[in-house]
Amino acid sequence: MSDALHFASHRLQEVALLIMAIVYTLRLRWILKFPAGKERQAPTGVGSLNPRGSIIYSWFNIAQPWAMESTRTKFFLYLQFVVFHVGVTVAIGLSFVIPYGPGLLEYSTIVLVIQVLCFAAFIVGIMRIIRRLGSKAMRVISSPDDYFAVLLLTVWFFFAALAAPNNYAAGEAALLTYFWLTAFFLIYVPFSKISHYLYYPFTRYYLGKTLGRRGVYPIVRGNK
Amino acid sequence: MGKPRSHKAEKVLERLEKKLNRQIVMSLAACVHCGNCSSSCHYVLANPDDPTYQPSYKADQLRKLFKRHVDWTGRVIPWFVKAKSIYTDEELEELKDVVFGKCTNCRRCSINCPMGVDHATFNRMARGLLVSVGVMPEGVAVVSKDQWEIGNQMGVLKEDYLDTLEWMEEELQEELDIPDIKIPVDKMDCDVVYSINPREVKYDPRTIAEAAKIFHFAGENWTMPSEGWDMTNFGLFSGDDDLGGAVGRRLYEKTEELRGKKLVISECGHGYRSTRCEAPNWGKIDVPFVMESSVDTMLRYIKERKIKVDKNKNTERVTFHDSCNNARSCGLFEEPRELLNLVVTDFQEMYPNRTENYCCTGGGGAMSMSEYTPNRLKSAKIKAEQLKATGAKYVVTSCHNCVDGLTDLIKHYELDMKVTQLVNLVANALVIPEKVKEPEVEKVEVPVEAEAPAEAGDLAGRKILVVDDEPDILTFFSTVLEDNGATVIQASDGDEAIEKVRQEKPDLVTLDLNMPGKDGGQVFEFIRKDEELAETPVCIVTGRPELRRLIYDRPVPPPEGYLDKPVDEETLLRNVRKILAVG
Ligand code: SF4
Ligand code: SF4
Repeated sequence: MSDALHFASHRLQEVALLIMAIVYTLRLRWILKFPAGKERQAPTGVGSLNPRGSIIYSWFNIAQPWAMESTRTKFFLYLQFVVFHVGVTVAIGLSFVIPYGPGLLEYSTIVLVIQVLCFAAFIVGIMRIIRRLGSKAMRVISSPDDYFAVLLLTVWFFFAALAAPNNYAAGEAALLTYFWLTAFFLIYVPFSKISHYLYYPFTRYYLGKTLGRRGVYPIVRGNK
Repeated sequence: MGKPRSHKAEKVLERLEKKLNRQIVMSLAACVHCGNCSSSCHYVLANPDDPTYQPSYKADQLRKLFKRHVDWTGRVIPWFVKAKSIYTDEELEELKDVVFGKCTNCRRCSINCPMGVDHATFNRMARGLLVSVGVMPEGVAVVSKDQWEIGNQMGVLKEDYLDTLEWMEEELQEELDIPDIKIPVDKMDCDVVYSINPREVKYDPRTIAEAAKIFHFAGENWTMPSEGWDMTNFGLFSGDDDLGGAVGRRLYEKTEELRGKKLVISECGHGYRSTRCEAPNWGKIDVPFVMESSVDTMLRYIKERKIKVDKNKNTERVTFHDSCNNARSCGLFEEPRELLNLVVTDFQEMYPNRTENYCCTGGGGAMSMSEYTPNRLKSAKIKAEQLKATGAKYVVTSCHNCVDGLTDLIKHYELDMKVTQLVNLVANALVIPEKVKEPEVEKVEVPVEAEAPAEAGDLAGRKILVVDDEPDILTFFSTVLEDNGATVIQASDGDEAIEKVRQEKPDLVTLDLNMPGKDGGQVFEFIRKDEELAETPVCIVTGRPELRRLIYDRPVPPPEGYLDKPVDEETLLRNVRKILAVG
């Protein structure tokens, strides 16, 4: 392994992670400086969950595609969402496995699974780019941040798939690109829409708390 | 030097940061522009070619300010996240058209956003920001003013409110032949204090009488307050938390003053949500008594066998429309269905329903914003299709706002359907105990004329001026009234109406509002201001409920009657007879 690859897979990642942690700490402080509204009214509705139950329901709402009309009726988009986010998890995990647990990648099945997942996410990334560019409705709501984020992740998935065998003896280009992209990704996310995963627990916590207390969660609908 | 900014724009930005709380900040920051919520919105579904109706696009009109002035990336590289400031009053007007004219705050997109972005909540906040600098639809300004100054959102004066209660009490006594049936006012230490929507006083007093009938037969110890009786709250629509808190406080304080044990809120979605859920938060009030919807109350009476109902009295097919505020903000969707199933024989669900039901399109104060009526009615196509598919003759809803919204769309889409509320169905299904029907006191013989039901010819000798620009209505009204003995004069526009009323001095004028030349409001004001004609009874007839308030905004005594188009023969005659005290 060259010094450049060693640096990119170790020190560079650690620095990038540190920067991300600092920026996110500041971000959390910023979020918490806004007052949280208080619900004073007595609970309503027959279906009221206890506060904790409704918050947990809200957090895991996304894992129940049948619960929301938007995920139920657009199941293919929901599947894309799942594949894309599994891809993110795997590609991030890979950036830890290669430097700290390369032994895992000696199993060809594991490598294959990682590659399939990253490649599937890459394909979904392309589909998402096409959707964002091709649909008038999507173009109207998209900002450069939205385009850049999906493009960055799509390219990153591609290189993660190539980097998965960790075969630096056969050439380091893919590994180097993957690690530099990962570092960029880590530093960039707190300033982009990708940090939505940091907000998710908050938005869902408050929505769950309010709608649970009001008996709206869990969602009830009548079947046809 | 930066771009100059108008005073109002300056104030909006200044107040934006103060209004933000953690929930709203997160909702503003978290949208990933996935477009998943788009197909949840009735505006989008009715305008498939216009992507600016998408919830996330509408939300971005406020979000761009948040990003430019509060969030960090938008401050440094605004173009990257489409962050943008606001400078002119024209831009504020554009924002107004989005937050008031393109969204009813129905919260359907909120429950369909995988991220948990609660667009409806910050859309309300955006409304509040604009209202704070006086940028709002005229109707919102007028209604808010009435609620601040007169204490209710329709400007009903205390004496008119009390008169109406008295009138309804007398009607009930007559109808049921029970002299001791009462609509108590300001009775102390009651178990139930009953609050209503001013629309009930103005246009639908029947619902007050029917609620009174139910309370009476349930043996309830109840009262209505002489003040602080309006449970509606325009603060919910205008985004003005101060107004919202103040209106709630009036109700709570009055209930406490009367030492009431429970505040019952009549069927109104936004009234229920505001009074029961939001006003304690807006006004930072810890309410010490119980509050419930009259739907719960009626259901309990039946379950506890305090009243008996016979569902065979309501045999026509009905469907149920969930008010957004009841269903998506208060979880009130099973109780009305349970009640409905007890009082009707043929209940047909519409789809989707409960938390997924579509807005009546008159929510969020839309009925008071006549400038957006064409848009509203266009977006109502979704609801119209939903209603039509049920094949129902009646759509039942627990919300006065929805009654108006649905009535309007039913007329617009020419559906063969009427709107009603649970209180009407429960009252109709009520089994009146025999012993009450036959008072123990010796029956007094009354002259036949006094008891005889109204019959054909009973309008003989009455001169009625029918004013309407629609020839069909002129003919229909004239035929019905003439068949019942009245002498009918016709006028098809405002100027002709004034001429005829001067010449003929009729006993009653039925007056359309929307007409060429002088409109009905001007004709009405002319009649009321003319010394000779001022006492002439007037019955307003309109197909646009939102115009009704234009009449009540005039500095003259209110009309004697009100009819919503389409009017059927029975309703017309009943109202005419009532106004002329015939039969
Ligand atoms: S509001 Fe939610 S569903 Fe709608 S575009 Fe934003 S993240 Fe997606
Ligand atoms: S709150 Fe309702 S009307 Fe407003 S954007 Fe969302 S779905 Fe549409």
